[in-house]
Amino acid sequence: MRAYQPKDNVQKKSYYNDRFYVTPTLARKSVYDDSVFSNDYLSLTKKVTVNDVYLELDHLVLWINPEDNISAIKHAKEILAYDFLVELSAIDYVATKGGFEIFYEMLSTSKRKRLRIKTFIKEGTAIESVNPLFRMADWSEREMFDMFGIVANNHPYMKRILMPEDWHGHPLLKTYPLHGDEAARWYEVDKIFGREARETIGEEQRDSAAIDRYDTTRFSRLGHEVPFGTDIRDGKEPDTPVRYQEDGGIKIFGIPLVTPFDEIETKNLKERR
Amino acid sequence: MAQHEVKYLSNGGAPIALTTVDKLVNFGRSNSLWPMTYGLACCAIEMMATGASRFDFDRFGTIFRASPRQSDVLVIAGTLTKKHAEFLRRLYDQMPDPKWVISMGSCANTGGMFNTYATVQGADRVIPVDIYLPGCAPRPETLQFALMMLQKKIRSQPCSLAQKAKRLI
Amino acid sequence: MQQTNRLKPFFENIAFDREDNTMVVNFGPQHPSAHGQLRLILELQGEEVVKAHPDVGYLHRGMEKMGENMIYNEFLPTTDRMDYIAATSNNYGYALAVEKLLGIEAPRRAEVIRTMLLEINRIISHLFWLATHALDVGAMSVFLYAFREREFAMDLMEDYCGARLTHSSVRIGGVPLDLPKNWIEDLEKFMVVLDEQIKIYEGLLTTNRIWRMRLENIGVIPTEMAKSWGCTGLVLRGSGVQWDLRKEMPYGLYPELEFDVPFSDTCDSYGRYKLHMEEMYQSMRILKQLIPMYHESESKLMAHAPQYISSSKEEMMTQNYSLMQHFVLVTQGMRPPVGEVYVATESPKGELGYYIVSDGSPYPYRMKLRAPSFWHTGILQDLLPGHQLADVVTIIGNLNIVFGEIDR
Repeated sequence: MRAYQPKDNVQKKSYYNDRFYVTPTLARKSVYDDSVFSNDYLSLTKKVTVNDVYLELDHLVLWINPEDNISAIKHAKEILAYDFLVELSAIDYVATKGGFEIFYEMLSTSKRKRLRIKTFIKEGTAIESVNPLFRMADWSEREMFDMFGIVANNHPYMKRILMPEDWHGHPLLKTYPLHGDEAARWYEVDKIFGREARETIGEEQRDSAAIDRYDTTRFSRLGHEVPFGTDIRDGKEPDTPVRYQEDGGIKIFGIPLVTPFDEIETKNLKERR
Repeated sequence: MAQHEVKYLSNGGAPIALTTVDKLVNFGRSNSLWPMTYGLACCAIEMMATGASRFDFDRFGTIFRASPRQSDVLVIAGTLTKKHAEFLRRLYDQMPDPKWVISMGSCANTGGMFNTYATVQGADRVIPVDIYLPGCAPRPETLQFALMMLQKKIRSQPCSLAQKAKRLI
Repeated sequence: MQQTNRLKPFFENIAFDREDNTMVVNFGPQHPSAHGQLRLILELQGEEVVKAHPDVGYLHRGMEKMGENMIYNEFLPTTDRMDYIAATSNNYGYALAVEKLLGIEAPRRAEVIRTMLLEINRIISHLFWLATHALDVGAMSVFLYAFREREFAMDLMEDYCGARLTHSSVRIGGVPLDLPKNWIEDLEKFMVVLDEQIKIYEGLLTTNRIWRMRLENIGVIPTEMAKSWGCTGLVLRGSGVQWDLRKEMPYGLYPELEFDVPFSDTCDSYGRYKLHMEEMYQSMRILKQLIPMYHESESKLMAHAPQYISSSKEEMMTQNYSLMQHFVLVTQGMRPPVGEVYVATESPKGELGYYIVSDGSPYPYRMKLRAPSFWHTGILQDLLPGHQLADVVTIIGNLNIVFGEIDR
């Protein structure tokens, strides 16, 4: 029986973990340490329910409920002068928490402060699109849908943006392998040549360290060169004559100075005389 | 081994006999290879640098043509993704014979450092490639050398009009 | 006589069964204009664009997923390939983000070298922008001249780190190498040459009637639209907002450097062209200030944080524990603190941000790369309607987009 490999997170994991080492966490300061942020927080908390708030590395991080995302961002944009929505995407916590964390990264040019609004949605639920407030959400939410499968309601064009239209699967999920699943592996072959050509073209070569000793088309076999494409299995390898000098010998002003050494023509003595 | 001497009068090292007509036609073909601008990613920048002032590509007789119908060589410079593979095949099919392909850079050769779901692991999965050019990104001199290798290859082939059926990949 | 494939010809540029008169043109993923793989589906009414739909993703290589499967140091060369024209700016942004997560600071000389490389990359990027933009609009000789200058700058980069295009010249915690001999003299000579040459380019283009007619009042991005679309960098500064991260939220050595940030309120392509040229002068000004700073700094190149960063080669080859720690850091990777960090730097294209979510393991949990060109391409769908077909090429060239960033 093969060993059980859990499929909920197929990304590369560290193979050695020191069970006594506790990784430190980044310091989370109280929001009242910074006057600008505390004013922003107090103003926002009148409008929407804020579940958690802290300062992390010069960012004000606010946790809200998913239904409040439009009102929170609208308040931040209009009242609190955060005039840029810089980044919007999701983080996959399906295996550990059963959903996705969506973050909205905002920037205020007048106050020179950054705000991160985070919310948690359960897997399978949709989120309201922020497109009416910031047009950048048009493309960012399409990318979020493409990569994670999170649908944004009332979006003008909810289609895939980075992957092809007929792609199967959402690549950035933790259950999606880096090399791609079966549909991904054969996508271009199926599209261009059809499923029948899968054997002709063959599997992708994903192992970057793979070396085939008998492959004479892709490896040059330095020191043991053979003509391109000869079959050298089963001891059919021809001898490679060794040449130590320039082809044609060394000539100075046309006078041959050193005659070329030709291994095939020379005679090898079996024993010393 | 790098060979910089091109022997015009002999067969270019090929074991087949070339007639004078062959040699003349091949001389013409190899010295006026018109590439199609197929810059996909970073290698495209090096291809443009090859065509620019310091490493002049024009002295080989190449003129970068935008249309596949007017070009001989397809220099795939950059990463070929699965979304793009279909278009590459279409453009390759639109090129008239005789045509050659230079695969420039690691991404076009074998998928390169992008061993991911969205990258075609080598342009030769989709189109037949004549010259593979390693590097990430290969220097402009390397691209020029690849072109010279291609010229050498062209000169060693008979120029008959009835082309043999090319291998699929 | 090749084996047939399943691709059937399709005539998507001629829509026979539509009642209105618009023609659908596919500005396909393979371009003669050298911007990469943008597929623009344009609906044209005669020569005027009625609707534009940019289709990207033809260079999507899965970098964010690669980030989740590689250790922090291993991911650095991948960031090179995002904005492949000014590769060090991506590396620097990433290194800065990880350093902020770890809570370490690079030493002084490393910062000086990094800033020098950044400004050289800015010059390289703007020269490339000028070359390709002029080539698209029609001024082909500017392409050859600008590439000649760019070759000198790339020689400098090659002398430093060995690569012309994809540098990986910065490490997390500092830089790996000190500047070679005579590099600073070469830099000074380069700046003299560049100064004269930018004047020549400006003389060729700035008051050129054709250039002005092609670029003035084309691609007008009002300030509200620029802010709503998240445009940053020169697109934003061309629309009247004086916002440069190097001045407003400075990082690295920028608080100590004196330079101006030009901005224009004409909001059109001509304004952005002038800003690009002026920024090259400002970059040279910064470089001149950095040269004495280099000579005054002490020669430490990497930060001292043995938990996260390997020590120098001399120490590694002589001290046992340094070698052991280096081995662990290379094979397993360093374990940063648990938390999230977002750091943005001002790359030549705009605000390049790295959002790293770390769960304490050597592999990042989420690596989101905020690429400025992504939204600069998105804005095309709102910007292009109303322009002529020839202006489409001008606008795409003027917005300075790089597809390595957009598709990642």
